[in-house]
Amino acid sequence: MQDIKSKKTIKEQLKHGMQTIINRKTAPFWLLFPTFLYYIVFWLSPILISIKEVFTSLDGQFTLFGNFIMIFQENTFHDAILNTALFAVVSVLLQFIIALMLALMLSRKFKGQKLILFLIMIPMAITPTAVAIVWKTGLISSGWINSILQSFHLIDEVIPFIGLRGIDAVMMIILIDTWTVMPSVMIILIAGLGNIPEETKEAGFIFGANRWQVIKDIVIPLLKPSIITAVILRMIAAVQVWAIVVMVMGFSNVPFLVERIAYFVGPVSGLPYAQKLAYTYSFITAIIVFIATLIYFKISKRGTALDGGTQK
Amino acid sequence: MKRLNPIQRVLLGLILTTAIIAVVLPLMFFLANAFSNSTEIYDYPKTPLMSFTVTVDVSYDQVTEEYVIKYVDRRGDVKNAINSSSMLLISNYFEQYFSVYRTPEELESQFEEVLTSGETIRLTYAKNLWHNFKTFFFITSKADEALINSIVVVIYTIIISLTLGSMSGYAIARYRFKGKDQINVFLLIVRMFPTVGISIPLAVILIRYNLFDTMLGLAILYSLPNIALTAWITSSIFVGINRELEEASLVFGGNGFQTFMKITLPLALPAMAASSMYAFLTAWNDTISALILTNDHPTLALAVYQAIGDNTTNLQYAAAGSIILIIPALIFTFVVRKYVNQMWGSVSV
Repeated sequence: MQDIKSKKTIKEQLKHGMQTIINRKTAPFWLLFPTFLYYIVFWLSPILISIKEVFTSLDGQFTLFGNFIMIFQENTFHDAILNTALFAVVSVLLQFIIALMLALMLSRKFKGQKLILFLIMIPMAITPTAVAIVWKTGLISSGWINSILQSFHLIDEVIPFIGLRGIDAVMMIILIDTWTVMPSVMIILIAGLGNIPEETKEAGFIFGANRWQVIKDIVIPLLKPSIITAVILRMIAAVQVWAIVVMVMGFSNVPFLVERIAYFVGPVSGLPYAQKLAYTYSFITAIIVFIATLIYFKISKRGTALDGGTQK
Repeated sequence: MKRLNPIQRVLLGLILTTAIIAVVLPLMFFLANAFSNSTEIYDYPKTPLMSFTVTVDVSYDQVTEEYVIKYVDRRGDVKNAINSSSMLLISNYFEQYFSVYRTPEELESQFEEVLTSGETIRLTYAKNLWHNFKTFFFITSKADEALINSIVVVIYTIIISLTLGSMSGYAIARYRFKGKDQINVFLLIVRMFPTVGISIPLAVILIRYNLFDTMLGLAILYSLPNIALTAWITSSIFVGINRELEEASLVFGGNGFQTFMKITLPLALPAMAASSMYAFLTAWNDTISALILTNDHPTLALAVYQAIGDNTTNLQYAAAGSIILIIPALIFTFVVRKYVNQMWGSVSV
């Protein structure tokens, strides 16, 4: 009897002890603590290492601009920046226009709408590496793109797509990228369209607006949060394009920022300055993306699809 | 909603048809390529339909005493393939260039007719459709290991992201505390931050903990954006879950943990499914971080990337490898999408 009682009190004491450690005040701390620890070890400290590497020279001396000067002198840097900027702007614009058009069409119910949506969404689920191969089998001189053009008698000689360089090559990669990521933009827009009450549109029609006016003056303004979300998310991903570029065109032929990182950690990683250049390139990429994030955060302080749920 | 007039309908149909062709046609050609044998891959112009058979013309050259095998492409053009008197050589050639598996004896009995008559006969063989897949695993060193690695890294990533992410999401949704807004901002920044930027310095840390070139190390990286994403997705769901249900459970004597496991978690299942989809896609699709953080243990995406390099020949094997890469991602995306659809109203990415 005594024994059981003491056991019970120990149990109760334990429970009481637990309750003083874990209660409504401290619970969020305990729930968030593992995540914070994780981010300090695996996110913050890599960033600190990266900052240290970017601001020290090869022999370990502090240098403010040394590595940036080195990267400026690296002969593919300008092309990498220009190509990435061109790619980010044109691809996002193109994807947005196509996605908005399709989203407006597919957000209304009709027969076969679900099937069409499913088909159009397939490329989104395809791994970038595989996308590169899908298109590479088309772009080689005996590939399917030349085959199509030939069978419609649009060309007499094969076009060497793989050999394209400069702006032509960037445009080609934009088309490939659009094929695979346009659906993800479309989905954000369709979800946004779903949240627009039907009555607002009907009100527009009642007041005599035509379809185009309703879209321009009612739907698009209401869709703005989704549009901002989609565009910025795409922008951020577009800055980081590389796999398709390398697999279709090869290294160094059409330089991009992240393609350069892959180049310096991949084929030439043995060279002494390669590591430094990789650090500096990834630092610059991270800064660009970070700025884009901040701009996004400024524009859409409230009510976008991205921070919607948590900021009530 | 206003009804469309006939012209608008036609226009709508045209645009949608174009979109579907633009999606489906590349995929059809890609499939045809992935199942091409080493001879068909050089056919030009190509057709978007897969071929299941190979047609050859067989004759016998009395002077050289050799069988003359000619390949008949799908448009009916005849091309030289192999001249040989050795059945073994021909059998090997059939396997390597036509993906046709026939023993020398089988071929010999089929060719016998040509010996006596001296005429050309046309034979059609069924292709072995697995040939390119076998060859992909054969020529890509570690491809089988890479497939297992990919599965392992996906599982790790999902486990890490879901546990840490949903705990944080719950805390953000259910408790009031100082600094909540700052935490939200921080999670957004972490999510947007390019993983490439983290990968290179993270290698230093992973080496320190002996995690470099391991799947756990890779999963740690993939979880960085996904913990934040999961926290955000789940918190918006937890906010929506009726708190009275949880209180009822507590009244009936369940403790906090039981309540969470039996009431809250099942209700948050769609959010979990969505989060695990994103975790899956991050881990399964990435190549750049795998390139940086592994040495001898590639993931499948990396193995396919390395198999193709900047080659333009033998693309059919890389294409077969890609199919292995695509199918799980496709299935996972569309199975989970059902759950994701349930929460489209509140969350949309």
